[in-house]
Amino acid sequence: MITLGIDVGGTFTDLVMRDSRTGELRSLKTPTTPPTYADGVMNAIRRTGAAPGDIADIAHGMTVATNTALEMNGAKLGVITTRGFRDVLVVGRGNRTTLYDIKAVRPPPLVPRARILEVDERMTATGEVHLTLDEAQVAAACKRLSEMDVEAIAICFLHSYANPEHERRAAEVVSRLMPGLPVSVSSDILPEYREFERFSTTALNSYVGPKVSQYLDRLSGSLTAEDIKAPLRIMGSNGGTWSAAAMAAEPVNAMLSGPAGGVTASVGIARILERPNIITYDMGGTSTDACLIRNYAYGMTTEGHVGMWPNRAPQIEIKTVGAGGGSIAYLDPGKFLNVGPRSAGALPGPACYGRGGTEPTVTDANVVLGRFRPDLALGGEIELDEEAARNAVKGLGDQLGLDPERTAEGIVRLAVARMTATVKEISVMRGLDPRDFTLFAYGGAGPLHAAEIAEELGITEIVIPPMPGAFSAYGLLTADTRYDVTRTRLTRLSETTLEELQAIIEPLREEARERLRRDGFQDSDIKLQVFLDMRFVGQAFELTTEMPEAPENIEEIAIAFQAVYQERYAQSDTGPSEIVSFRVVGFGGSAPIALPERAVGGDVAPSTTRAISFDGAFVDTPILQRENLPADVAIDGPAIIEEDGATTVVPPQFSATLDRRGILILKRNGNG
Amino acid sequence: MAEIDPITLEVVTEGLISVVREMRATVFRTARSVAIYEARDFSCGLFDAKGQVVAQSEDIGSHVVPLPWSVESALDELGGDLESGDIILMNDPYRGGTHLNDVTIIYPVFEDGELVFFPAVREHWADVGGAVPGSMSGTATEIYQEGMRIPPVKIVERGEINKPLMEVLLSNMRVREERLGDFNSSLAACRTAERRLRELTARYSMQVLLDCVELNLARSEARMRANIAALPDGEYYYEDYLETFGPDGFEPLLLPLNLTIDGEEMTADLTGASPQVPAPVNSTLAVTAASVYIALKSTLDPAHALNHGSFRPVTVVAPERTIVNVGHPAPAGSHGEIRKRVIATMLGALSRACPELVSADIHRTSFHNLIGGVDPASNSEFVHYEWACGGNGGFLESDGPSAMAAIDWGDLTTVQPTEVLESRFPLHIEWTQLGLDSGGPGQRRGGLGMRRALRLTRGTAAYSLLSDGAIMPPFGVHGGETGAPVDSYVIRADGSEHHFDSPGKVGGHPLTEGDTVILQSAAGGGYGDPLRRDPEDVRRDVENDLVSQDIAEAIYGVRFNGDGSIDDDGTKANRAALSQARPRLRTTSDEADPYVASGPSQRRTIRLHPADMAAHDLEPDQKIELLDEVGAPLRGWVVADDSIAQGTTPLDRLGHRLLGVDAGAEVYVRPLYTPIVDYRAAPIA
Repeated sequence: MITLGIDVGGTFTDLVMRDSRTGELRSLKTPTTPPTYADGVMNAIRRTGAAPGDIADIAHGMTVATNTALEMNGAKLGVITTRGFRDVLVVGRGNRTTLYDIKAVRPPPLVPRARILEVDERMTATGEVHLTLDEAQVAAACKRLSEMDVEAIAICFLHSYANPEHERRAAEVVSRLMPGLPVSVSSDILPEYREFERFSTTALNSYVGPKVSQYLDRLSGSLTAEDIKAPLRIMGSNGGTWSAAAMAAEPVNAMLSGPAGGVTASVGIARILERPNIITYDMGGTSTDACLIRNYAYGMTTEGHVGMWPNRAPQIEIKTVGAGGGSIAYLDPGKFLNVGPRSAGALPGPACYGRGGTEPTVTDANVVLGRFRPDLALGGEIELDEEAARNAVKGLGDQLGLDPERTAEGIVRLAVARMTATVKEISVMRGLDPRDFTLFAYGGAGPLHAAEIAEELGITEIVIPPMPGAFSAYGLLTADTRYDVTRTRLTRLSETTLEELQAIIEPLREEARERLRRDGFQDSDIKLQVFLDMRFVGQAFELTTEMPEAPENIEEIAIAFQAVYQERYAQSDTGPSEIVSFRVVGFGGSAPIALPERAVGGDVAPSTTRAISFDGAFVDTPILQRENLPADVAIDGPAIIEEDGATTVVPPQFSATLDRRGILILKRNGNG
Repeated sequence: MAEIDPITLEVVTEGLISVVREMRATVFRTARSVAIYEARDFSCGLFDAKGQVVAQSEDIGSHVVPLPWSVESALDELGGDLESGDIILMNDPYRGGTHLNDVTIIYPVFEDGELVFFPAVREHWADVGGAVPGSMSGTATEIYQEGMRIPPVKIVERGEINKPLMEVLLSNMRVREERLGDFNSSLAACRTAERRLRELTARYSMQVLLDCVELNLARSEARMRANIAALPDGEYYYEDYLETFGPDGFEPLLLPLNLTIDGEEMTADLTGASPQVPAPVNSTLAVTAASVYIALKSTLDPAHALNHGSFRPVTVVAPERTIVNVGHPAPAGSHGEIRKRVIATMLGALSRACPELVSADIHRTSFHNLIGGVDPASNSEFVHYEWACGGNGGFLESDGPSAMAAIDWGDLTTVQPTEVLESRFPLHIEWTQLGLDSGGPGQRRGGLGMRRALRLTRGTAAYSLLSDGAIMPPFGVHGGETGAPVDSYVIRADGSEHHFDSPGKVGGHPLTEGDTVILQSAAGGGYGDPLRRDPEDVRRDVENDLVSQDIAEAIYGVRFNGDGSIDDDGTKANRAALSQARPRLRTTSDEADPYVASGPSQRRTIRLHPADMAAHDLEPDQKIELLDEVGAPLRGWVVADDSIAQGTTPLDRLGHRLLGVDAGAEVYVRPLYTPIVDYRAAPIA
């Protein structure tokens, strides 16, 4: 039986395959094929050579949803909203987009004001009907929107989290008058209060919906055509997979579909290593994602954004910074050296790819320093043009009055400084000391810079997981199915009872169960967790608190919240508290990571040596192949460890050990 | 100075900025005031031994840019007397502060017995004593009513906290526990900064750090000098008004700005500003100078990090005991209004020096609305504080953004969710929408203001408003028109309307169940002649209900066919006719004082011949604008004068300078346009 994890990136589509009969685990790369990404996925599947009938499961991380939103090529959208509130989506929260710039502008809207139509209807905050929905006006709005040739419709009414009745009736009218047109309803997508954030999430869903559906239809069609009957699961931003059908209906949950796999797999590896506290650092070509994991749990947030638009769908708290291997180094008009956020992308790519790039990138700097050979690392997909890399870096160095080596070092140091700042943001800025964490580095460029970043942060242990270049795809193999069900119901603890709370929670639990059953899970395989978004009365923002299991009284809930509050803000409070939203998370079928053990011991045989620059001086450095390393034997730096898809730099002050499960661990020598 | 390589420079700079970011995170995590950890009304900075800004957080410009004045003042008073372990506390507006609520901690860091850095934190404490809870009184006549005034004092001396002093302070402020928590959070942030600075010096040496600081300051200075040098030398002038009301109604306070550009240097001289008044319309030198810098940075150098170097080539002159440099004992609470108006005069003056870089005027005020009372449902007090943003001015490349925080507001969130308000307060939000036609017409249209209707659903409440810009609307530039001013009124439960005698300034107006408050934030001014706006842009504005068809035709000159498409020939003819009909006058040189005074208030008069008034349909005392093709308009009040030649208007030296023309030039005259904004005008679907 074969399971596949397939992750579509900007340049490459990564596939990891596990054969449960042989225990074999293998990865491969094929070029990503925009705009028909499904073709690249099918190419990758074909290259596995697996018999269609043997493929039992496919888990997939996709970028279609995010790209559609960022590239602004989504559906021609129409919105029907409550009378008097068409500008909620136009104005948002009135924040300035660029500080200190008199010429700041808003990004173009997902939907122009002319296609946002108002109808008479109104609910109160407690869900009572204040003004009955005028269905004739909905019908009139449909007529106008069809004249405008809209391709998708979002229905966004005030207070629909408290009572979705009007939204549902409006959706019925739309479905009747505009059959076949995709409709997103705000109380379905995100039954939580704060209208701009809910409307924005709903509009995003509607905006990317048709593209995602087309993509999934095409992919499913191709799978069927090749006689592959395995279910297709899509990685969600929440760290679990969804059925393709469920994701097609709520694609706003796929915005972090790519990076989520790496984070969930990191948790699995962390368990094997018994390292409860880790920081993941996933550096790719154009961006870097970092995530903090405590006690084997990644943080969840509902305060995500796609571009400028809030996306409140529950998602892993991943911090993204626009700096990666392809980030371009340049001098700005004030002669400041800068790295990113502009990227060479897949085309032309870094200068060393020899595809016409002339501006120096972080990857080029690594080539000049001798650390990185993309021709080797990318499995023959790229031919190295060392001269082009050197010329690009030299061009910048000439402006700075530095030789190419020192310029290259500077580019890497600055990129490291930027990424260090990102890791600080998710640790130090929350009062956590990064030295208490292990750094998990992966992505094509992660293991190249991990040691330097660890050094900046005082971190003394680094883990380079198996298949770091395709780690998100690997993570897809091990992900649970997960559905989040939420409801906003303002509830003061002093004015409620446990019975009342259970009466709100039980239908949510049943909904989560039902969604998992629909994906084929038995009740015995289903695990549910209940969370409460809580705050002190009078505050405007909530913290998510796990509901104590079988609480005996309300006070226990208050205490649980106070503990979360103390942890987040490093200060205690004991005032009256309230619940804003209820969340139930349902998990289906977990497959813990199993890594085959290898024999211990053996000799380290360097294949070659290369002159590599460390701290300003070139040193003859052994170049090792990860697959040939003996298990549990420590190798002192300096060393370069190469493998398909990634290169690990082991600086002089570090040593590296490949453990018997194939996990590469770098440790700083001495006291760190 | 040792040779610093550019890479070390960038890495150390990133390190210093990171120190400030971490200070910020520390305050955010540990402060007790909701205003601090939710509204984030605080700022952090790192200063060198001379009190120069080395690195700052960039969240709230109004807050962080004036901080150096406090540090300078503290250094003046205590500098020679500082030792390791001393910590300074202060909030005195007259000594480099802003308003009393902004309490600042300055923390000297020593290295080998030498003072090297000052981390500093300014937090908006929710209360610092005074006449009203929250300390910001719209009716204060003296600073004593605005809270405790703290000169620079050592609150901690050689590591020992001055407990009696602390006790005096806390005993005079509301919610003392919260105040103590705020103080401790500032302290924690400064201690974090000290620790991180020592880590940096251990790694790079103090000398390298200080050299990097100096290099950064020098680079910013060089950049600002180059930016100023690129502007044509000369004297530029603009004048504007703040709004007060006396027994006889509107009393405008004059705010003139003479901007001199001389090579690489610039002087912003506010001599002539109204004397300070016993009302909250005054602010401090720090706020005034910071506003000049915010305007310059936002127009000339928006992309770079903020430090002191860019301030060096700029001199700000603000005479003492005026509304822009308030002295004892006048209230100092109104920094929001002074700030926006100083920025406006800067834009007006720069509009002739660098016409392509400026925008038209921005929404004029901070628009603080308060609706408070006791909710009979819960029998508890509530205060809804609404600081709605407005439209921004149009500029060369784009229309001004609608309802977006202004340049001095940083990242403040300004639109509060209806769903949250209705859950918390006895309020029903009838609608929240952009004001149709509110944006100043122009080749690039000004951004629209925001309108909101809030109905009191039960009990009684009081409505207060502290703002400005309700009489004098935001100006356009280069022929662009004015945007809509601030407005607020009440529609009573019986349907009758109540408008205020002192628009923009309301104190405790009683509301009863069913009354609806209508708020309208100001819009942005237009950029360039509306008759030159691309008809397609006008058509799209009409399609999006941002501009009505009437205004499209009357002001933009665009005519439409029955199907909504543009009538090209009709538009061309209409535009030609509208352009032709614009009245013009020839200026004459006349040094007679054009200002009419009444108490501290002054207004510019513009004398016109009665025949011209009749021809152009202008009334005595009507507000008008004189304008040239380029720049911001000169505003004044009409006075009939039959002693002058018909077709002329006498103008003083400053008036000519404002318009950038010599005597004898032909200028346009137009009534001050005030867009009529009617929320009921846009039924949709």
